[in-house]
Amino acid sequence: MNPGDLRWGDAVIGILASALVIAAFVLAYFPAGEARVLVISQAGASPQHEPLDRHRVLEVNGPAGTTRIEIEPGRARCAESPGQRNICEASGWLQAHGDMAVSLPNRLTLQVLGSEPGFDSLHY
Amino acid sequence: MTGNPLPDPVRRDRTIAALAAIAIGIQVLEAAIPSPVPGIKPGLANIVTLVALLVLGWRAAVAVTLIRVVGSSLLLGTLLSPAFWLSLAGALASLAMLALLRPLAPRHLGPVGLAIAAALAHTSGQFLLAWVIIIPHPNLPLVLPPLLLAALITGGLTGILAAHVLADPRIQRHVRTRKPDPKGNTD
Repeated sequence: MNPGDLRWGDAVIGILASALVIAAFVLAYFPAGEARVLVISQAGASPQHEPLDRHRVLEVNGPAGTTRIEIEPGRARCAESPGQRNICEASGWLQAHGDMAVSLPNRLTLQVLGSEPGFDSLHY
Repeated sequence: MTGNPLPDPVRRDRTIAALAAIAIGIQVLEAAIPSPVPGIKPGLANIVTLVALLVLGWRAAVAVTLIRVVGSSLLLGTLLSPAFWLSLAGALASLAMLALLRPLAPRHLGPVGLAIAAALAHTSGQFLLAWVIIIPHPNLPLVLPPLLLAALITGGLTGILAAHVLADPRIQRHVRTRKPDPKGNTD
């Protein structure tokens, strides 16, 4: 194909189309799925809902000791837990809808939920 | 009319039929090739739509495309199934985009720009139908960006291939892509 076959309109459409694709990626993936609430579920107790609005630290007592939960705007994490292998801490910051941390020794799960749920699964 | 000896409606119909047959052949062959990603395919049959548009005008492009959609769905056994409606929605959306941009071609716009715009319209039209009617799931927009990216790439490739086809002397001999009178009406 000769470069002469390209007109200025092709360049305009190419640029607009690329901008559209980039905008679609940004809009679809970045602001959505933000976690809004942390659900703390412990065996034998009713689940506790904590909004992810400001920085604070919660302490939950369980059969093995104390789990320290750190909450920040839009995310939460298990900062310290009595588990020997630090599985709860290793989950890191929970910030996308459905992210979860579990402390088995304390019979505890932490899960963040958002208003815009992320993927559960995709089928074709 | 383009000014070449096409006013003969029989000859024009035959050309449209031949182009539609080529497009159906391409689409059926393409359906036989497994796609690495579901929902994404090259859409090579759109080359024929572009050639029909630039050579014969947008009415011919509409005819070729609709015959292709119905004809290939008959051969593939998808007539009136969701795949058929998706194909039709994409075809109508891209035809609308092409009708909109047609006055700019060929002076300001070549096949590549037309193909990219049509491919994005095709994907968007299909997506809207899928989202509004077939799978009204709130998270479906999350699959749209990769599909649009694929449309951008395949649209560009389709446009380059269409430009090659239009530059072919065998096509040039039978049909004219440039109007003899720049102020003449195209269709």
